[in-house]
Amino acid sequence: MNVAKLLDKRRVQWTELETLCDAMETSGRTNKSGVAHHQGVQGIARFSTLYRAACADLALADAYQLPPGTITYLHRLVARAHNQLYRADRFEPKRWSGIVFRDAPQQIFADPCVRVATIVFFGLFAISMFLGRNDAMFPGFAERMVGAEQLNQLEEMYEKPLSGSFEHYVTMSGYYIQHNTAIGLRCFAYGILLIPCLFTLAYNAVALGTMFGFMARPDTVGGDHFYQFVTAHGPFELTAIALAAAAGLRIGVGLFYTGGLTRGDSIRVNALKAVPVMATSVILFILAALTEGILSPSPAPYLIKALWAVFSSGLISFYFVVLGFPQQTTKLGTTMPTGDQPDAT
Amino acid sequence: MASPAALDTTIAVVTPENIAFDYQLAGPFRRLPAYLIDFSVRCGVCLVVFLGLTLSGVLVLGSIPGFTPFLIASGFIFYFCISWFYGTLLETFYNGRTVGKWACGIRVIDVEGRPINGKRAMLRNLLRVADMAPLAALSSFAPDAPPIFLIPTGMVGLLTMISTRRMQRLGDLAAGTMVIVDERGWKLPIAKVDDPRVPALASFFPGDYRVTRSMSRTLAIYAERRHYLTPARRREIARHLAIPLIDRFEFRADIDPDLLIYALYYKTFLADASDELLDLGPLAGYSPLSRDQHKPQGLAGDLQSQNASIMSASNLTSASQPLDTRPRTTGSDFQPVTEHQDVARQREPFTNPRKG
Repeated sequence: MNVAKLLDKRRVQWTELETLCDAMETSGRTNKSGVAHHQGVQGIARFSTLYRAACADLALADAYQLPPGTITYLHRLVARAHNQLYRADRFEPKRWSGIVFRDAPQQIFADPCVRVATIVFFGLFAISMFLGRNDAMFPGFAERMVGAEQLNQLEEMYEKPLSGSFEHYVTMSGYYIQHNTAIGLRCFAYGILLIPCLFTLAYNAVALGTMFGFMARPDTVGGDHFYQFVTAHGPFELTAIALAAAAGLRIGVGLFYTGGLTRGDSIRVNALKAVPVMATSVILFILAALTEGILSPSPAPYLIKALWAVFSSGLISFYFVVLGFPQQTTKLGTTMPTGDQPDAT
Repeated sequence: MASPAALDTTIAVVTPENIAFDYQLAGPFRRLPAYLIDFSVRCGVCLVVFLGLTLSGVLVLGSIPGFTPFLIASGFIFYFCISWFYGTLLETFYNGRTVGKWACGIRVIDVEGRPINGKRAMLRNLLRVADMAPLAALSSFAPDAPPIFLIPTGMVGLLTMISTRRMQRLGDLAAGTMVIVDERGWKLPIAKVDDPRVPALASFFPGDYRVTRSMSRTLAIYAERRHYLTPARRREIARHLAIPLIDRFEFRADIDPDLLIYALYYKTFLADASDELLDLGPLAGYSPLSRDQHKPQGLAGDLQSQNASIMSASNLTSASQPLDTRPRTTGSDFQPVTEHQDVARQREPFTNPRKG
């Protein structure tokens, strides 16, 4: 058959497919095209039939000796229809509990990056707390690390005993969710570049540790109030920062420690592994922010705050150790967090 | 490695139907405007929501005690959500597109050509922070500027985009996604031959002559591109293909190669094999074959009036009484044509005018 005739014959169907694509693009349905047999289920069926016909035309383009311009047209038509036929998955909240309560703790327990990030964060935190506390042995450490001005501000802030209204609590919770989680997410994102992530982690560890140490000095004004404030949300927040960095480091380490995969695949696999850890970190940040907004500034007795701190630490330990303990049925390291298996290309 | 396809910004994708087709990748110059549009949309939405919250706080709900802090808190949380999950939500719900991507006609898909899912969308949008690095402080350029303005330079993302084959930034690499140009209409290019000499010349190829596959592709590419070439360049390019054809089918040596190749294109792709003899109109009687070269034909006596104007269609006067020498001609389809008023400019319609 002559090419011109073939094109004339096929063009009718291609134009119909284009019309259906137009309708799909505007509303996600084929109803808009205005033709009787494009309504509802029939329309979808017609769309996929036409799409497969166009695919077949493209496959046979070489045999038909179609001109290159037509082949380009077909490539674009098929690509366009393909994007409409295969659509993005919606979020599936049903799977989220599985991610948070099964995949994430398993991943956290097995992941060496979590250990590294935890050791870096809490190690530096403890060291700087010690250094900041002992002004006699290490004079000027706290001032040089955090800055004298900020330390004065800190002292002023906690000079008065804690008291706050309910209105204040709610507002501050919102602010902490926004501010602290953003820091965590930024730390996670920088993980792919490794250095900025480690820097953010270390900076937070040293700054927080020095402040804690400074406020723990016996001569500091308002030290008691400070500890009353930070005790309740401390466990959640500090763990959340370490976890965010750990999730980020997981991606960055994947760049170098490929485990036999190509570098690109390794990044992809590790990034998918990092998502549940990051999700846990975000949840911890939100819990910390709620605690920080509501319980921490309240004039509640210290015992309650300490009990909450103990309880939250226990909760975190249970989550990491009991839920995260390697189960016999799953092989660690090779399990993917969800059904979203990355395909080796 | 040095495959010619690698030069182009297309990427082949195999569909579940087992068909491979090409996607056109979107480079930084398509993606930056999309990002800027998204950024302004985000700012606009935030502004509107804050205004709405403030107004509702002042006007309506201010009377309810204890409600204002909830409004402020929800403002913070909304700001947090929209600044971190704007892209994730839109790309997941709108099939890989945000407002900016929709405006710029691009779309995010999986590297395997499948649609993006929520997890991948989240990864690539969270990691945008790393792609935007390093931050440049405005105060380092202008000392008067307040030190709060940090401008993301996006160098990391740009470098990764340049150095990866699918033009992926770091977030795309981690999520296994790529950004493609999403075609909205694309006109089916139809080559139309309006030169009357082409069908005439095409009829001189034997009916059973079939070109090879590579030749037909070459012909089609040539026919698409020849509009962009000067006539001299066309002849230069076409000559390489025309010489074997001239030898094989015994055309006269001074035939215009461009016209010959174009005629072969016409015969391969456009001519209808069923209608045996098309009406050649005023061209009937001119033969491009070498054996007819010395036969008297056309306008006798107008030999010296060759004009260098190349593309002039051969408008012959009615005075011509040419011989019809086409191989398959059964009877003379010579028709005197009277409607052409122009004086004949070209003695030989098919030959290369420069050789005259």
